[in-house]
Amino acid sequence: MASFRYTGPVSAPPSGLGPAGPFPNAPLTDPLDRRWLHYAFLSRDGRRAMVANASWLGPAEDEPAGTEHFATILLLHDGTGAWQSSQFNATTERPPWSAFMRPFPHGQPRPLTIRSANGQPAVSLSLTRTSRPCTSQSAFFARHQHLRWQSETGVTAVGDWHTGMTERVDLVGYHERVRGRWCWPDLGEWVFGFANDMGGDPAKPPEWAGVFTFIRPSTDPTEATASFMLWHNGAMRRHFPRRCVSFATRGTLDPDRITIAPPFAQLLGTPPMALPPRRLAITARQGDDWVALDFDGEDAARIVIPSETSLNAFSVHEVVGTCQLSGLIGGQKFSVETRGIVEFAGGAQNDSQGGVTDHA
Amino acid sequence: MHDIKTGSKLRNSAASVMIETIATLSRHAPAITAAAARELGNVQLHLSFGDGSRALLTAANSVLTSRSDPDAAPYDVDVHFDDRALTLLFDAAARPADQTLENSLDMRGTRDDLLAVWRCFRLLSQRASGLRLVQAIWSAYRDNLPKQALIPPKIGPDRSADWDAPKWPALQWLEQRHPAATDLITRSEPVLAPARSLWNGVSSDSWQDSTAIFDNDLHLTMQRCKARVVADILALIPTKPPQRDLYALMKDYVTREGKGLRPTLVISTCLALGGKLEDGVRAAAALEMFHNGFLVHDDIADESTHRRGLPTLHEAHGIGLAVNAGDAMHLFAVDMTLSNLATVGLARTLGIIHEILHMCRETVEGQAVELGWIRRNFVPSRDADYSRMSTKKTGWYTCISPCRVGAVAAGVTDPALLNRFNEAFRMTGIAFQIQDDVLNLIGETDLYGKEALGDLLEGKRTIMMIHLFRGASQALRDRMTAINALPRLQKPFAMAQEMLAAMNDAGSVDYAIKVADKLANQGVYRFEADLGFIPENPAKAVLRQVSNYVTTRAL
Repeated sequence: MASFRYTGPVSAPPSGLGPAGPFPNAPLTDPLDRRWLHYAFLSRDGRRAMVANASWLGPAEDEPAGTEHFATILLLHDGTGAWQSSQFNATTERPPWSAFMRPFPHGQPRPLTIRSANGQPAVSLSLTRTSRPCTSQSAFFARHQHLRWQSETGVTAVGDWHTGMTERVDLVGYHERVRGRWCWPDLGEWVFGFANDMGGDPAKPPEWAGVFTFIRPSTDPTEATASFMLWHNGAMRRHFPRRCVSFATRGTLDPDRITIAPPFAQLLGTPPMALPPRRLAITARQGDDWVALDFDGEDAARIVIPSETSLNAFSVHEVVGTCQLSGLIGGQKFSVETRGIVEFAGGAQNDSQGGVTDHA
Repeated sequence: MHDIKTGSKLRNSAASVMIETIATLSRHAPAITAAAARELGNVQLHLSFGDGSRALLTAANSVLTSRSDPDAAPYDVDVHFDDRALTLLFDAAARPADQTLENSLDMRGTRDDLLAVWRCFRLLSQRASGLRLVQAIWSAYRDNLPKQALIPPKIGPDRSADWDAPKWPALQWLEQRHPAATDLITRSEPVLAPARSLWNGVSSDSWQDSTAIFDNDLHLTMQRCKARVVADILALIPTKPPQRDLYALMKDYVTREGKGLRPTLVISTCLALGGKLEDGVRAAAALEMFHNGFLVHDDIADESTHRRGLPTLHEAHGIGLAVNAGDAMHLFAVDMTLSNLATVGLARTLGIIHEILHMCRETVEGQAVELGWIRRNFVPSRDADYSRMSTKKTGWYTCISPCRVGAVAAGVTDPALLNRFNEAFRMTGIAFQIQDDVLNLIGETDLYGKEALGDLLEGKRTIMMIHLFRGASQALRDRMTAINALPRLQKPFAMAQEMLAAMNDAGSVDYAIKVADKLANQGVYRFEADLGFIPENPAKAVLRQVSNYVTTRAL
């Protein structure tokens, strides 16, 4: 098992993170069972970005089924290019805010507070849904491993931002829930991200928003999958499935623009890994409809996640940058210049010791 | 010598592009040209291009030399490229073998020579095409070519052709709709690297570029490391009085133009061994402060007039203030060393202090040996004596200690591992010193920074002087001894020129270049043999570049 400590085992929450089905409200029973809630926001003024993750991991080998380990991390990025990060033991509500809690009508703000153990960075926000989630998606790989996820764009947030001083912020972002059973070396790598149109009426959903996914398992690259989902005025208008999507990159981000997080990762002799790409282009087409997303990365935080089954950690590069989203949907042309967050993740598979392909 | 003057501005001929590329590589990625020179060996390569221009490519002493060749000098191999075949050389996205048209590429020569040329160009195209500067040269050239010359032939069905106009696949979106030099949303600099497909609907590739070129741009890296360290130093020098007579003087040398070799070695070693940038920066700042304090005192002892292209501190401000400023630099260097406590903790700080003390002791011992020779007007007869002196004065001071300090800053304190740096960088350091001495004799003052023939005026015991005295007749030796006996201020410049002429006649400069090249190559060998414990990463690639740097500095 990894050497870092979680905040301690907690029992499964009695009430729900969504309906039975792809995200069952069932206890985690396997050491590699996972449940996540992911938050990513950008300020309307383009100066700030926030990434947070609340995760549950299943019981260790010697623990009873149903025991769950909870961990939360918060990263805040300001206009100077600096990232501030908590460790994995940030505190938040139990259960944390989720758009998938039912019932949760639009226009009703609910709190999300995440605070580093030493007080900062921290956020104290009121989150409001303006849009509807996409259909859930899944990836299966390495025989018995899988990952399911579901996203909702257009989540707005107002509140306080603490990074040494307290400031009022106005954010727009996206939320995602993930459930599955996987080990990092077999999962391989992914490219995830989103972009919201940040203009227009703050009380209304973004006119255009996109979420994209590319997962490439290391055990069999032919199991790779990809998708692009497009929202218009809060409702998902198009889901471009894997055959209709293409991803390409160019160049790498300047190493000086990458901050390693959480802070304790520096102490563990984290090995170097490939630099995340600087440019990312995604195009998708289906019939006469098409969409293109052109992203230019500026700064990144490399979140180093200890792997339970390999020596090499799994790293998630959270890259913020400018973004151009354009396309033609149902005869309607659009083009939006905005900002986005892209995750380039991977790194655990470069360790021959890793992998539990036959894990049942 | 590189034909730099013809290459810097002229990109209108293919020959000038080739010349500029080689010159740029020699400056920014010396490991690549050194490796290519080794592959080319003694082969004289004549290149003729579709536009009628011609160039000659040769290798000597690990230096790849390229010059225009309008008169078709004798050659071993003749290669003809048309425009398309030429641009494919540095196009990492396409394999020339798949793309070259009939009659667009022709090579003539013996089998072994052709293979040597092929290996040389393969190495250049594989390792140099990722450098931004090289891509800038070639993209500027390609952009000026008629477009029809560059359109690839269609091979097989083009499935992507279904995607017309704005519906291009992502790869074409980056390559054609938003080509590198014309990015619409780029914030400052274009991304010149070739585009890569991650997913095209059918097959996938990793976003982690496994073929990433680890030959970093050394020149740029050295500039960045120096700038970072200078910023750290300036932040620690007080802004209170007395500025004019102390603190401004301390900032003077620090902010002058310099190569940044020591900061680069400290930071790169620290990063290569898994350390943080900040840990290396603070240690490098301390080392750089010691270095500048030594320079101030050294310039006074040597009666030097210029340092890094400007008057020396004592020339500009008088000996008293200069000595005091040098003392203050050493004091602040101690302070900076201790300030590592906040970033790397007690154990590493003590290790860094130990390394710096060792460096200072070796340096003053080496300096004492050389100044003693000068004071007694003695010139040693054996290269080994020079080597011992230079090991102390330059090997430790310039190369070994910066690496060891960087390693300690990263947490490596095992003496056995630290000692692995010694031999590789000792040889590199001595080679660097010899190159520096040669540059003082034949380098351009503007490029070199010190006054021309300053070493001869101050009677510095260089490998050239040792070689001259060793082979000189008694009469010539007496004459040279008499010149050396004169104090610097009483020594006319003509005497320095006389000694230089004698060195040229005796072949001493060529001998020094050969010795430096041999040492540098031994250093490269030891680098690979001894430092295998450092994992391959971009920072180690910078260290590798430094070990090659000395062999390819422009002479």
